[in-house]
Amino acid sequence: MLNGFIILLIFFLIGEFIANLFAWPIPGSVMGMLVLFIFLIARSGIPKSIKHSSETLLPYLPLFIVPASVGIVGHLYLLQQDGLIIVLAMIASLVVGIPLCGWLMQKILAWQAK
Amino acid sequence: MMHWQAALSGIWQSPYLGLLLTLMSFQAGLVLFKRSGSKPWLHPVLVSAASLCAIILLTDLSYERYFESANFLNQILGPVIVALAIPLYENINLLKRYWFAFVVSNVVGGGVTIFMAVAIVYLGQGSDVSVNTMWTKSITTAIAIDLAPGIGGVAALAAALVMFTGVFGAMIAPSLLRLFRINHAAAQGTALGVCAHAVGTARALEMGSVQGAFAALSMCFMALLCALLLPFMLS
Repeated sequence: MLNGFIILLIFFLIGEFIANLFAWPIPGSVMGMLVLFIFLIARSGIPKSIKHSSETLLPYLPLFIVPASVGIVGHLYLLQQDGLIIVLAMIASLVVGIPLCGWLMQKILAWQAK
Repeated sequence: MMHWQAALSGIWQSPYLGLLLTLMSFQAGLVLFKRSGSKPWLHPVLVSAASLCAIILLTDLSYERYFESANFLNQILGPVIVALAIPLYENINLLKRYWFAFVVSNVVGGGVTIFMAVAIVYLGQGSDVSVNTMWTKSITTAIAIDLAPGIGGVAALAAALVMFTGVFGAMIAPSLLRLFRINHAAAQGTALGVCAHAVGTARALEMGSVQGAFAALSMCFMALLCALLLPFMLS
């Protein structure tokens, strides 16, 4: 567990390093994920320690987003101001987006099968 | 002589209070979620965050003091996001046959929902912060939180938006997919992953393992794509 977590932390810091080096506005976590992904492809396999740590940590991902989510208490004015239009935009984009994504994929697969 | 008041206020002032409250409310949310048969609107994050918001609004516990105490959980988020590379890698060979259809439906379908949502809030005269935050709507919550401040948005609003699409999307997706006769398992999973992220992926897993794998793949793909492109487009 600890070994895998150390490796994840190192990849996270490599990600931060790369993002800072090129002054890219990308979060270090995402850059680290990309670097780890490329590393796994190059190595064509997942080291046991990383696999173990990710299997232990990933189920708790929802827990780790709670503290930042609670920050909404400081932005209630935003919800008061824009809440209605935001909810409207979300619903409209979902009602269009879900069928569109599925339909596109299904159409292309059917077309390729021909 | 016992000092009840001092001892109790010591607990209330403890730097561990926020951490304890977060863990307890999340655990309670998990139990509630399982008992309800995994109802999306009883998602543990929603239950936990809502109860913590209520506590902060109703008592003298400030968000700053709460966050300082729960910051430990927030800090682990970075390396845990890195770990998302593992499920992505594990599912990547599923794409061998489907990659073209997968990429097109993610980019076009995802692009349309994002632009549509941003455009509606912009035209509806939403504030700049809200418009900027809308761009994160197709990114999984953890990454949306990390990305939002860099593009002029608010992390907590991003979390709320993404939770909303996730929960609402997971609720309406099955009927929408039936209505439009989308019955290909990979297509169903992709639609859920692009539009409803993690909550949608959980829902897709209930529909089948293929749906679940494709939902997880599109969730990771959309998150990566948006996180790599949006900061350059918007800053």
